[in-house]
Amino acid sequence: MSGMFVEVAPPTLPAPIVAPAAAGGRGRTARRLARRLGRGVVPYLYLVPALGMLIVWIYRPLVETANYSFYSWNLSPTQPATPVGWHNYHRLFTLPELGGSVWRTLLMIIGLLPFTIVIPVVVGLLSREVRGRARSIYQALIFLPFLVAPVASAAVWQWLLSPRTGAVNRATGSSVNWFHERWPALIAITGITGWHVLGFAVVVVAAGLASINGDYAEAASVDGASRWQITRWLTLPLLSPTLVFLVLATALLFAPQWTFPLIDTLTQGGPVDATTNVYYLLWEYGIQSFDAGLASAAGVVFFLGFGLVAAVLLWISERVTIHDD
Amino acid sequence: MTNFDAPETPGGRSRTRVVVGHLTLALLGLACVFPIYWLYATSLRRPNDVYEVSPLPWPLSVDSYRTAIDEVDVLRLLLNTTVVAVLTALGQLLTSLLAAYAFAAWNFPLKRVLYLAFVGSWLVPFQVAMLPNYVLLHQLGLLNTLSGVIVPNIVSGLGVLLLRQHLDSFPKELLEAARMDGRSSWSTLWMVVVPNLRAALAALGILLLVNAWNEYFWPALVLQRHNDVLQLGIRSFMSATEGDDWGPLTATAGLACLPIFIIYLLLQRHVVSGFVRSGLR
Repeated sequence: MSGMFVEVAPPTLPAPIVAPAAAGGRGRTARRLARRLGRGVVPYLYLVPALGMLIVWIYRPLVETANYSFYSWNLSPTQPATPVGWHNYHRLFTLPELGGSVWRTLLMIIGLLPFTIVIPVVVGLLSREVRGRARSIYQALIFLPFLVAPVASAAVWQWLLSPRTGAVNRATGSSVNWFHERWPALIAITGITGWHVLGFAVVVVAAGLASINGDYAEAASVDGASRWQITRWLTLPLLSPTLVFLVLATALLFAPQWTFPLIDTLTQGGPVDATTNVYYLLWEYGIQSFDAGLASAAGVVFFLGFGLVAAVLLWISERVTIHDD
Repeated sequence: MTNFDAPETPGGRSRTRVVVGHLTLALLGLACVFPIYWLYATSLRRPNDVYEVSPLPWPLSVDSYRTAIDEVDVLRLLLNTTVVAVLTALGQLLTSLLAAYAFAAWNFPLKRVLYLAFVGSWLVPFQVAMLPNYVLLHQLGLLNTLSGVIVPNIVSGLGVLLLRQHLDSFPKELLEAARMDGRSSWSTLWMVVVPNLRAALAALGILLLVNAWNEYFWPALVLQRHNDVLQLGIRSFMSATEGDDWGPLTATAGLACLPIFIIYLLLQRHVVSGFVRSGLR
């Protein structure tokens, strides 16, 4: 960011464009000043479209949500909102749903880690010798589920896991009613999400492994280190930035973005809340029960919690990551 | 076949590993693709054969597709989804390009703060901002319209980030030369920057298009009365038939995925590297 070329670096905040009304007599200096100020405005003009959208659709609603959380309101334009102080927060923390949904979110994240860490690393290590065209064809196949729309995958998995006629139960001889039993439903949602994101993780780990300098391993093997020792004490530590990134992505991106459409289409949070994670709970509070106050209080609590978790994870990742300098 | 598992010879050892590697990747590839294969296989069976488990759908039939087109009006949904995805992606690309250009070409007060506003935007989950946005869309009269799905999405923090990285490595001499020639910053952007940024813009465009195509939250929030895009069309199909009409359902889902698969087939390397690079940064 230091070596940036600078067209104009105005010493003060660019003032709003002043119309050079009295430009007649004291012509030149005033006009030059106006042009200087005008040029200071230029970068902001380029920023306006994106920034405007960002403010209107992300940061403004965040503030509004905080505001709603102190009112009782059913979202109807004819119904006035009545201020209720901290009542919504009190309700939120006395309702049993919140704790359960946090716990189930955690279970889903843990259940995703085999798909985003364990399998990609094992596969990556086993297949390091496969190169060239063959490798890119395999990777293309493995990556494919990442491009499948979640709802389309909900459709095909509903069919594959259908109790009597689905391919899975017929192949395994099981009679599990996947989306209508508590644990099977949770496992199915987690597994389908894992299927989606596995390919992404495999490609990322492969790229991470390919970027590790082979000289270290060679030197270690000359010193008599076994393959396992090299993997354990050299490769994995050098891969740690990639793995940390994948843990972050699992917790902060995949779990929120990919589970929600599946839950909404396959189980609607059921049976008996067994697949209601925090993202689905917020949706239920807001869109299904039209309880704007409670939903907003939940949104605020969730936003703060999410930010805290993200900050802690980023902080930890800075510490455990080993860089190849 | 010589020295196949004789551990002494390095060549033999590595050949075992190559075989293991091929097997691992092939098995994983098959496991990942099987559900997608099954989706298309089911959709191409004759209506009476839907419950067959033979791996090859034979004889082939397009009856399920015909039913899907008649019952859910898939073609209209395809058109709507295309319009929404293309306009969303183009809009995001444009706002991202302008913002990234501002960040890369000038120093100005509050630059860091404003940049952080883009980087941090993913920290506000959709569900947290959902209700105020719903109210605003209602006030603007955009509920249950396709514009209501497009308009709130015309900004992408990721797009700004990625394009800024590309622009930061853009040779400053070119920009400086354009300025010396008396070009305005606007014409520099379109005549100098964009032609040199084509590859990056294309990669980002594909990524944004795939995301917009598969988007579920916004359509589900905005289009509650009509299921006007594919993702919602599939959902209404699933709930209307209690998920028993597997042929037409898989046909609809198959059609919904097809455009993305075609793009993938044509531009495989760019798609994968686009997603992976965006993740690695």
